Formats: sequence, C-alpha cells, structure tokens
Amino acid sequence: MPKVTINDRTVEVEPGTNLVEAAAKVGVQVPHYCYHPRLSVVGQCRMCMVEVEMNGRKMPKLQAGCSTPVADGMVVRTDTPEVHEAQKGMMEFLLINHPLDCPICDQAGECGLQDYSFKHGVAYSRFEFEDKRTYPGRERIPLGANVLLNMNRCIQCTRCVRFTQEIAGTSEIGFFNRGSHAEIGVFPGRELSNPLATCVVDVCPVGALTSTRFRFAERVFNLDKKPSICAGCDAGCNITIEHRRGKIRRYKPRTNPEVNDYWMCDDGRASWEKYRDRPRLTSPRVKDRATTWKEALDAVYQRVRSRSAEGATAILGSGQLTTEEAYLFAQLADQIGTPHRSVAVDPFPERRIPNLHGGVFGREAAPNRRGAEMAGLAARPGAFTADEFLNGDAASRCATLVVTDGDFGAAAWDDAAVARLRQASCLIVFSWADSPLAQAADIALPIATHAEKDGSFVNSQRRVQRFRAAFPAPGQVRGGVEVLSDLLARFDPAWAGLSPAAVFDRFAGQTPGLAGLTFGSLPPTGAALADTQAAGAEG
Amino acid sequence: MAFEKTLTQNVGNPDALTVAGYKKNGGYTALEAALKMEPDAITQAVKDSGLRGRGGAGFPAGMKWSFIPKIDKPKYLVCNADESEPGTFKDRLLMEYDPHQLIEGCAICCRAVGANTTYIYIRGEYTKAARILEDAIREAYQAGILGDSVMGSGWKLDMYVHMGAGAYICGEETGMLESLEGKRGQPRVKPPFPAVVGAFGCPTVINNVETLCNVPHILNRGAAWFKGIGTDERNTGPKLYAVSGHVERPGTYELPLGITFDELLEVCGGMYKGGTLKAFIPGGASAPILKASESHLKMDFDTLAKAGSMLGSAAVIVMDETTCMVRAASRLAKFFAHESCGQCTPCREGTNWMEIILHRIEAGHGHPNDADLLYSVSKNVGGNSLCALGDAAIGPVRSLVEKFRDEIEQHIREHACPVPVRRYFAAAA
Repeated sequence: MPKVTINDRTVEVEPGTNLVEAAAKVGVQVPHYCYHPRLSVVGQCRMCMVEVEMNGRKMPKLQAGCSTPVADGMVVRTDTPEVHEAQKGMMEFLLINHPLDCPICDQAGECGLQDYSFKHGVAYSRFEFEDKRTYPGRERIPLGANVLLNMNRCIQCTRCVRFTQEIAGTSEIGFFNRGSHAEIGVFPGRELSNPLATCVVDVCPVGALTSTRFRFAERVFNLDKKPSICAGCDAGCNITIEHRRGKIRRYKPRTNPEVNDYWMCDDGRASWEKYRDRPRLTSPRVKDRATTWKEALDAVYQRVRSRSAEGATAILGSGQLTTEEAYLFAQLADQIGTPHRSVAVDPFPERRIPNLHGGVFGREAAPNRRGAEMAGLAARPGAFTADEFLNGDAASRCATLVVTDGDFGAAAWDDAAVARLRQASCLIVFSWADSPLAQAADIALPIATHAEKDGSFVNSQRRVQRFRAAFPAPGQVRGGVEVLSDLLARFDPAWAGLSPAAVFDRFAGQTPGLAGLTFGSLPPTGAALADTQAAGAEG
Repeated sequence: MAFEKTLTQNVGNPDALTVAGYKKNGGYTALEAALKMEPDAITQAVKDSGLRGRGGAGFPAGMKWSFIPKIDKPKYLVCNADESEPGTFKDRLLMEYDPHQLIEGCAICCRAVGANTTYIYIRGEYTKAARILEDAIREAYQAGILGDSVMGSGWKLDMYVHMGAGAYICGEETGMLESLEGKRGQPRVKPPFPAVVGAFGCPTVINNVETLCNVPHILNRGAAWFKGIGTDERNTGPKLYAVSGHVERPGTYELPLGITFDELLEVCGGMYKGGTLKAFIPGGASAPILKASESHLKMDFDTLAKAGSMLGSAAVIVMDETTCMVRAASRLAKFFAHESCGQCTPCREGTNWMEIILHRIEAGHGHPNDADLLYSVSKNVGGNSLCALGDAAIGPVRSLVEKFRDEIEQHIREHACPVPVRRYFAAAA
C-alpha cells in the first residue's frame, strides 16, 4: 500500500485514497466544500489546495487534495505559506458575493463558511466598493415540500446536484447558467420530492438549502446533540437528536457506513413531531384518577397475579419497545404463566436508505419488532396474535390485557381499534402518549419515549444498535425498564433496581448469537447478528 | 530563405473543396501511405518531426498519441475546431478552404492511435466551415475515403461534425468532451486524462485543426523537412499567424515557426497608417501582453514562454499608441468573466471581480490601491483554478499591472482615460 507523508507524519493508505482522506488519517484537516466522501469528486471549490512533492520534486502548482490520489513516496504539506495564501484567496472569493446574513441564517453555527473563515480566512474585506451579486426573487425558492433554496448564499459546490444524481438517483437539481451567474435549481416541471430530499440540506455546506421543517425553529448553537437511533421504521438509521431543554428540534443523520451511511429519509426526520404534537401522559392513572407509581404498580401486580375465571391474561407487545423492555415483559409473561404474547407492528411503505452495501430497507412502522420477538415476545402457537387483538375479538376473551406501548401505531389513535381492545375486562396500558387507548385504560402508566431512555433496537439487517437517553423524561414519566423492574420485584425481589444495561447483559448472556456482548461494549456501529440464528428468531 | 506554403497551399483554389481537386495537388497520398505503415511508425514520424500542438498549449502531438493505451476499448479522435479565443481565426481558414486536408490528417491520426471514430467539434458560429466540412466528409464517404473500408484497406473510419453552441469553455479539452457527450460543457477534473478516460469513458486524442493539418505533410515530405523549418529542435514546422489589430493588412499568414514579431509586422504591411507600436499580444486573448520593446522576440513556443508570455494559438493582436491598455485588458477580462463556466471558485468569482475593477479604473472611478488589488486577485486565480481558463484569464490582467502600471495609476489619478481619442475616429469626424 502506498505510503504518504503529510506534514511530516507518514501514513499507509489504500491505493486510490485521495489526499483529503489520507490527511484525515493522520489528523490533518484539509478544508473542503465540494468534496464529500460519498459523492463524485469534482474539484470545484478549490479549498483543499495542498503542496505536493513527488520524487523530491515539488509540483509547480498547488494541487487539489480531493482530486489527487496518493502515490507511494508522496510528500504533502498543508501548512506552507503558499497553501495558506490559496486558502485565504478562496475564502475571499467565496465571501465577496455571499450576503453575510449570518444573523438571520439558519446555518449560522454549523456553516462551512463561518468555520473556515475563522480558521483560514481574513477578518476584512477588499470587496468594499462593488455591489454584491444577488439573485433577486431567488431568496426563498421551495425546491420541494421540505427544502428551501436561498440562491444568494449558495457557493456553487454542486453537492446537492450530485446527491440527487448519484445517491437519490432522481436528478431533480441541476446547475444552470454560467460564470458568476451560475446557479442551482430544480429542472423545469420537477420538484425535489424524493424520499431522501432533506439530505441535500445536510450536504449543503452553507445556508443556501434549508429545511422547511427546521427553519427558524432554533439557533443551532443552542441545541444539545445526542446520538440515537431513529424510531420511525426498522431501517434503524443512526441519528443525532438535537434538542433544547428536552424539546426536540430535529433529527440529523449520524454516519454509520454499515446502516444509513450519511443519509436518512424525510419521514424519519419527521418522526419526532408526534412527541411535539400529541398529548403526553405524565402521571400514572388508575380508573381515570392520577395516582402514585407505587399505587399504580400495586394495582397492576394485584391484577396480573391472580388468575381470573373471566379469561386469560395477555401481553400485547409493540415494535416500539426496546429489546430490554420486551425482555422484561416476556419475563412478566413467564411469571404470570401466560402463553399470550405478541408484537404488533403497522405496515410502512418500503424505503431504502442507500449505503455502500446496497442499502438498508425499512418496511415496518416500528424500529424493533425483531428485538422484541427475540427477547421473548414472539407469538406462540395457539396463543392470540396481535392481529386477533387489533382486528378481531381476542380482547373480549381476556380478563387482563397489558398493552405494552400505548403508541404502537395507528391503533392507539383509532376509536374502533381502541373499542376492540377495551373489550378486555381489565385494560392496562403503558404509554408515553395520552392516546385514546391510554384514556380508555383501567390503568395507564406513563413511560419514556425512545429519546428519554437507554436501550437497544434490532433493525431490518438484524443489527443490534444501542442508544442512550438524550434528555430526562418529564414529570413522573419513567423508563420502561425501571417500571418493569419495580413490577417484577413484586414477584421476586431479585428483579429490583435493574438498569437497561443490566437487562441487556442478562438477555445477551441467555441468547445464542449475542454471547459475549454487553451493553457497554456494543460497537458504536452496532453488532450484526449471525444469520443462522436470524432464521430461527425471524420464524 | 524561400519558404513554401504548405498548410495554406490550397487557399484560393476552389477545386480543393472536392476530392478530385484535392488529390490533384497530391492529396490523400499521405493517407494511402499511412494505411501501409505500422501505426506506431506513424506516431514515431510525428514524434520525430517535433510537431507541437497548435491549439495553445504546445504539447508534442506524437507524444500525446503515444499515451493512448493499447487496450480493447473503442478509441476516439476529437478534433478541436472550437476556435473561439478573441483574435484567433486560423483554423477557420483551413476548414473553409481545404477541408480534405483536415479529413486526411484526422484519418492518419486515427490510423496511428487505433481509433475508428473522429468527431470534429466545431465552433457553433462557424456555420460556413461546418457546411463545407460536412460536404467534404460526405464526398469522402462516397469516394471510399471514409466509411467501412478506408481506401479499400478494410479499415473502418467514421467522421462526424459536431457543432458547439457558443461556449469558449468547450474549447477546453475535457469541457469539449462533456459537451460532445451531451452534458453541460464544463471541464472535468484531471486526472484521469482524456488519453485514458476521454469521450464516453474511452481513450481519446484531442488535437487542434492546424495540428492535424500538418500531419499529411509530415508523412509526405518527411520529418526532416518539417524539422528544417522553425527556430530549433523544439520549435519546428510551418505556423499560421492570425494577425489582427493596428496593422495595414490583417489576416492569417503561414510563416515558419519562430520568425520575429518585427518580421511578422513587415509581412503584414507594417503598422496601420504608420502608427507606433505600443504593445502586442502574441498568442490570443489569454497570452500576457508584450511591450513594443519586446518586438524582436521570436514568435515560437519557448522564446515567448521565456519572455513571460506564450505563443498560444499564435493569434497576434497588434496595438498602436492610440490604444488604452486598461480598456484593452478590461475588454479581455470581460470576455473571460463571461466565458467562465462557473464551476470552480477562483475562476467564477475572480474573473468577475477583475472585470469589475478594470471597468471602474477605465471609467475613472479607480481606487488608489486598485493596481495592487488587481494583481493580488489575479494571483489567487492563477494556478488555483480547475482548468486552464483561470490561468488564461489572468494573462492580460497581470501583464497590464506588470508592464503598464503607470497607465493604470494615471487613470486613477486623473479620474479619466489619458489616451487620446482615437486618431481615425477623430479624422473621420
């Protein structure tokens, strides 16, 4: 493999690696705008100019790092006066026609122009006597439902053009006109409406493309950013939850080359909005009366412990549960001794998030059906299935029905479905939302959303991915694992005080294929489960 | 020194537009010979002749041909007839008066590199030349010179004329390929070079019209004849000089490569109405301006490069003392700003900025440090742009600041253009 020396540090890299990537390997940051690891190299922004020496001979001109592949024995410098001069020059060129409207720009705080101005630019302007180039009437052009274009801020890096051509494959955006009038736009009669559309906002290094969903919602420097997993579907896109004091403002994709790479879909980005728009269940409720956790859990315990003549006790699980919660629900079912357990999942239009291995697919409206079933909630032969509860009359044959996630999908908000579930003599609902289902319940228990708790999901590739709470749950809301651990402790004190990590470790220890894994040692990109065992659990 | 015109021997001979007429003057004998030669021998002959590209960069043509990998992939020849730099009008003459010479040159080149397809990418405004070329190609097909069996050899060669749509940037070789492929005409990032990944992803040779027109003569008369013309080993052959500006007889002249500017001026009948030479541009709009004191320079690749300018396409623009240099540079800067494709930062923003600065100086609104600003901006454009257009754009601007700085400063000081009203206009009034 070629060895290349960058700023006196030597590194061995794959043949064909470009100098931007090679420099990153030794911790040298080469500034760039148009280069993106997953998009074709165009060498347009000219920010990544570096000095290259080959066989003791310095190249007469600076070279663009993004379009120069490494060669064995190459000596690269990114810290010479010539390089700094070129970077300063490019920053100046990029800014002379930029509106510098940072105070009203959504990108301010995460803007490539701001960042590199501080690092590589100068603090004054020599473009004092000229009028800036503007694009009148092109300040807020909707490219599609989710993306707005402000052409004045654009630096013509064409990342968005290449994204729609090469990643989304839809080619809605094009580069029009020439010279200093060059501009970005959608082709006539088209609109940017592909499922990945908002990714162009992520790849845009400046404030030219902004998300209509996030526009003016928050200054980005006020946001707390916590890594998590998208719960919109079973693709399991890695995301960053960006919130301010527990109010989520947006989801951004977090790079995981094995799963969603750099991308995520627009539906996923909108999946947090239900937390904002729907009423929240904030305290335990028994028979429509707010109460304490102790009282509520005692009531649940009393109810599920006694076998009733009125019928069976059943647990209706959901794909929204974390694997750990599902495991404890399965333990609860074992304690009660009921075979009736199942996982309800809504269908979902199929989507594909592209990555280097062909993409990850999402087909279910919940993130973790697989994990919940692996953890012991898979329907057993002869027992009631989720479908029989949601569309049939299974509930009427139950003395006690425990619905484990009161927002497992449309059914919780659908009066007919709620009425069917209500036919159980006693309906116990665990829910983050004060949904019609929670309101109909005899006992409603507020549990945390996935943004407020630790846990793990198993996605459609059968990859276990860990996430942690982004912010604490409000009011009396508690994590599902804590609640269930309290409840199970009433059966056996050994269950008391369990954390999600402890539950995962216990579950992993008992599950073939997860052996050796612990919550703490799960790799950041997740752990793929073996296929053999996949077939069994999938069944 | 008796110099015999070769490239332009058929200019003024309307018969040469037909295959028969062209053959009467010894046409297509070189192609016939080439068909019997080893392809590598053709390339070697061109290498031996020292023929350098006539389009502007002066890259040795034989060397370029030898870069084509011998792989099992279609190969292409693209003939660059997108002659659109201000002051350049030599290829048009060759195409309009002697189209078969170009067809023969293209065919020989294809034979040498193993290509079976030629695209002649012609400037969109050259409708007459395109029509003549298309007629000539049609006749060549009928005469069996092009088509499935070139002159009965069984070797296949197709030739197409592709008209551009008016962008100077499509004269840049990779921009031309993009345009040819039906995409937006903007240069590609190199490497890979067109010799490896060119038109439609295949190895491609791109040569200028004049370069290819030289090839039949090299085969006919031998590399030694070609080398006998010119300054030295590295600057050989006949050259077309397209002379415009303040001379008595502007036009295209075929002369040995490396005559001095003074000699060239004499051939053109001297300065217009006896004016005084102030400056000249030796190689088209992108070549840095030279002063009158440099008129003794030999007009060849290396001498001009050493003098800080370039031969380029040998489009000589002559300017007398009535020329305002700031205005001239401003006009050239406007051209480059207009023709920049807009993809790379320095060229998109820099050419535009230079145009603005020059315009305000010429209009008498210049600022005291504008000369330095101009120089600094041009320095940031040069060497940093994606293709050669950025480097081309700074040619006139930098040389203006370097050689005519007092004229800039006079503009700024006096808030007006110091060059007297043009003599001829004054006389006419």
